[in-house]
Amino acid sequence: MKELCLRALDIAKEKGVSFADIRIVKHHTQIVTTEDERVSGIQDSESMGFGVRVLLNGCWGFAASKNLFRKEIEDVTLRAVEIARASSLAKMGSGVVFAPEEPHEAIFRTPVQKDPFKVPIEEKVNLLLGVNKEMLRVRGVKKAHSFMWFKSEERHLANTDGSFIESNTCTSTAECIATAVDEHTAKTRYFEAIPVNAGYEHIEGTPLLKEAQRVGEEAVAHLTAKECPQGKKDLILHPSHLALTIHESIGHALELDRVLGMEESLAGSSFATIDKLGKLKYGSPIVNIVCDNTDPTRLASKGYDDDGVPGQRWYIIKNGILVDYQTGREVCHTIGAEQSRGSCRADSWQSIPIIRQSNIGLEAGEEHLTLEELIADTKDGIYIEGMGSFSIDQKRLNFQFGGDCFWEIKNGKKTCMLKDVTYQAITTDFWGSCDAICDKRFWQPYGVLNCGKGDPMQIAQMTHGSSPVRFRNINVGGAKL
Amino acid sequence: MRESEARSIIEKVLKLSGAEDTSAVITGSYKASTRFADNAITQNITTNNYSLKVSCAYGQKVGHATTNELIDGALQGVVKRAQDIALVVPPDPEHMPLLTSDEAEKYHQLEPYFEDTKKFSPSDKARIISAQAEKCQEKGIRLSGAFSNGSSFTAFGNSKGLMGCYKSTSFEMHVTCLTPTSSGWAEQIGEDISKAGFSLVVDRAFNIAEKSKNPHDFEPRKCTIIMHPAAVAELFTFLFWEGFDAKATDEERTFLRGKFGTKIGGENITIRSDPADLRCPTISFQQDGLVAPTLKWIDNGVVQNLCYSRFWAKKKGKKPTGFPTNIIVDGGDTSVEEMIKTTDLGVLVTRFWYIRFVDPMVPSVTGMTRDGTFLIEDGKVTKAMKNMRFNENIVDVLNRVEVLSVPERTGEYIPVLAPALKVRDFNFTSATDF
Ligand SMILES: [Zn+2]
Repeated sequence: MKELCLRALDIAKEKGVSFADIRIVKHHTQIVTTEDERVSGIQDSESMGFGVRVLLNGCWGFAASKNLFRKEIEDVTLRAVEIARASSLAKMGSGVVFAPEEPHEAIFRTPVQKDPFKVPIEEKVNLLLGVNKEMLRVRGVKKAHSFMWFKSEERHLANTDGSFIESNTCTSTAECIATAVDEHTAKTRYFEAIPVNAGYEHIEGTPLLKEAQRVGEEAVAHLTAKECPQGKKDLILHPSHLALTIHESIGHALELDRVLGMEESLAGSSFATIDKLGKLKYGSPIVNIVCDNTDPTRLASKGYDDDGVPGQRWYIIKNGILVDYQTGREVCHTIGAEQSRGSCRADSWQSIPIIRQSNIGLEAGEEHLTLEELIADTKDGIYIEGMGSFSIDQKRLNFQFGGDCFWEIKNGKKTCMLKDVTYQAITTDFWGSCDAICDKRFWQPYGVLNCGKGDPMQIAQMTHGSSPVRFRNINVGGAKL
Repeated sequence: MRESEARSIIEKVLKLSGAEDTSAVITGSYKASTRFADNAITQNITTNNYSLKVSCAYGQKVGHATTNELIDGALQGVVKRAQDIALVVPPDPEHMPLLTSDEAEKYHQLEPYFEDTKKFSPSDKARIISAQAEKCQEKGIRLSGAFSNGSSFTAFGNSKGLMGCYKSTSFEMHVTCLTPTSSGWAEQIGEDISKAGFSLVVDRAFNIAEKSKNPHDFEPRKCTIIMHPAAVAELFTFLFWEGFDAKATDEERTFLRGKFGTKIGGENITIRSDPADLRCPTISFQQDGLVAPTLKWIDNGVVQNLCYSRFWAKKKGKKPTGFPTNIIVDGGDTSVEEMIKTTDLGVLVTRFWYIRFVDPMVPSVTGMTRDGTFLIEDGKVTKAMKNMRFNENIVDVLNRVEVLSVPERTGEYIPVLAPALKVRDFNFTSATDF
């Protein structure tokens, strides 16, 4: 591998590039899906290839191929150089300023105890069908779905900094969904083995069978739950729900390429522009948002990003104030940073690295506080678990979110289940209303598997963690027709 | 890849397989995409990939495996992976016997493949982008977008002798023009690059950006909306996410439960699929070789067809339809200009953004306007407006369509032909800051 990589870099250097890298990547995914008593699909997919990226006269070129042999590597590298020449026809000023980086030689591996690809299919199928059976035993549940999803990535990254980085990551998850049907409508409820970088031991360690009945019962209860009220309510959001709110209203808003307008034509830009750095009150003073790509169990961690920059841990919001962004080597100079934060990833050998969300989490509260205490302290509120409907404008200001399951809180007690709850807010008002965060014993990470960004679209994974949190006086029920 | 090469790989796979039934699909594409922002090229890529999916069945036991290594030595590996899975899984009661070679007679013979589209080079695109970027730079506009071209290829074959092959080329350009206070967007999608008009697309986006400068606040409310085709496509695609699936509908899990054959929309609403429509041509067979549907889903407001898989069709005594490969919303003959003239108070929308279901059983959705939203007063566009969020029942919208324009090619996820629409009482619920 190393020799093939060096060949590409040598050719690129001969052509006078200021930077080049090659990534050889192999993906293996396995998806097992079931419906009621049947296995509805087993898909085992492999994809391997390489991509060469060159920076010539301040302009990018990228070419990729699945044919991993010497001659093809040479041709593809020359093609990338040609494309960079074409790019220079529409160049801005002196072109790309790419931050320097030390050379790194490293091997990174997800800690895996049990390789999910070696676990017999029968074992996976039996577990999922067992879970479906448990859900279907609940009166009113008319449909049970479940799946397992495994993905491994083997990556060799070499670049003209002199870096040679090898990584082996593995992601595992499973989920079950119960659908209850009555004469008026249908409602669903899900439970998951939260996506993490780990092996099959993670699936075994998640009580899917044990939770299946509760999932079914909550789907049924959802059918006849009380309508969502309309007006202002306090919200208590569980980490399984807040993960997506963090993702949409903070994560995407603080990707520096978006902030600079580089994603304008597709995913959009951001209200949190760089003139606001160090000043913008993003949230209340107890809101501390940390990016952490050093914990190997989280989905955005692979030792080094695809720019060859080590995984780091840093604050983007500190005491409620915007203090940093997620950056890559191409854009970090725009905020005066000498080194990239290492947030550039590509979703395959065919894709170019772009800024992707890191593992972004909300720090746990410092004072002793349980979820029960938080509920007991809330007069008129709604408690939300799980991810549901979500929509946000392209500058990440006006959002409307749903969830998977909702309960009314009256005078410090969870009273009854609610249905069709939505809440709508402007990002900074919402985070500004955050007034209580449970302590670190209740902090939980949640993985996001399908984050779309870029053009052509790339799908990335990352993890968002928090403890249960309260937000005061949020508009609910605006979606009611 | 040539058709003959694909056939030869598929034949090898069928020969290698020891399963009772085997089928293979090769899909591949060449894609060249040039992306730009702030009047400069920011990303420029070409990529080439082919993948092979093999499905093996022993009776009702089925396994699938995929690889992108198509050399002889690797074929054995992927066939073995599919077989190994099939041998250990429980039988799938929904697995159907393979289709036979006569199914191919139903495939259209269209091949929207234009060599010039594929050959259009990164420097050809860079020159065109550069000229427009300079023009925008002079006018103080920031131009962003992407210009991509490429070709794609699908070949299917099974051990009952059914074979199919489809290849096509495509180009897509979409641009956003930015002023300090506004944005404008336009796109063009097609198969034949000789029909591409990049400067016209930029001009359209530019005009919208100019007109939407310094947007005003507007109290969100129910009012008339005029939506351009891109907005209509974005909204109506949500009808098809699972809504028309016959099995899910029969199991009462979709908004169409109990509505088959009934009138759900106005008489001016007809939505259909036709892979051979030259305005949005697409592949004419599905992954199992079944011919792709050419039929009306909604005919003058009445639910005329649901999507039947082969299994569910057999169980219910219906004809299998498969799932749509394109969506055509029939139009009318009212231009957007005429729609504006007949509107006392309304909102003109260029496109929507981030539409998601609120409750798919209604089906209710929420989303935002984007890149050019205008107020219409007394038959004229009077001012630019800040973007708004809406919450709507899409089926209900089908009953409030007053007039339709000639349909145009659009569609982000699936090829769509959609008209501009004028709809009354559209439910805007909140606003944003820009
Ligand atoms: Zn995302």
